[in-house]
Amino acid sequence: MSRPDEENEQQQVWRTLSEAGLVEIRLDEFAERIRDVKRIVIVRLRELLDVNNSVKERESAACSLGTLKGLELKVLASQPPDPSEM
Amino acid sequence: MMKSTAEQLRSTANWPPDVGEIISFKSSNGPETAMLKEVRWGLVWRDFILEDGRVIPEHRVSGCPRPQAWRKISEVTDREREECEERLLLMAGAGMDPRKRDQSFWAELNQYLAYTYLRYKRAGSEAHVTE
Repeated sequence: MSRPDEENEQQQVWRTLSEAGLVEIRLDEFAERIRDVKRIVIVRLRELLDVNNSVKERESAACSLGTLKGLELKVLASQPPDPSEM
Repeated sequence: MMKSTAEQLRSTANWPPDVGEIISFKSSNGPETAMLKEVRWGLVWRDFILEDGRVIPEHRVSGCPRPQAWRKISEVTDREREECEERLLLMAGAGMDPRKRDQSFWAELNQYLAYTYLRYKRAGSEAHVTE
């Protein structure tokens, strides 16, 4: 059985992800959600470059950013055309 | 309606269901039942793999205890994250569409975005506290 503080932590995770729209991403919102997460990684990467000496953490953040960029391009390329632009 | 403590304990003890059991869940088409093939931890939550290959996140399966179990971000190894990133880029490169709900690309991309958000959002706020 989980402890009350663990339960609070689990509820907090659920709330954080729900508020960010990341529990179940709506099918038409993938590109937007990828951009949101990219922004978070970019902010963190800037912090790491400014103050932190953790090379490994920097590499991980840079790698995640590259993956997100690649995924964003693929998702945008496979997105059906907007009827209003036709 | 709130569950009693005894009910909560019972549901947690019997969770997750065994492979081969018929489970009820909410799909994009509404309530459904199907045979469970595998239960697999993703980067953040558990996915239930059905016999027909669909991937259903744990919170959509009937009887899932609340709050559901989540992995701690610190439990995910760099190797695991890298493997996930490789799979995602391979699936994207192969032309798979993440907008196909309940399929593996959709499921894995959901978890990767959730994991990356939690990891860097938290790391950033924790760093501000300690600085």
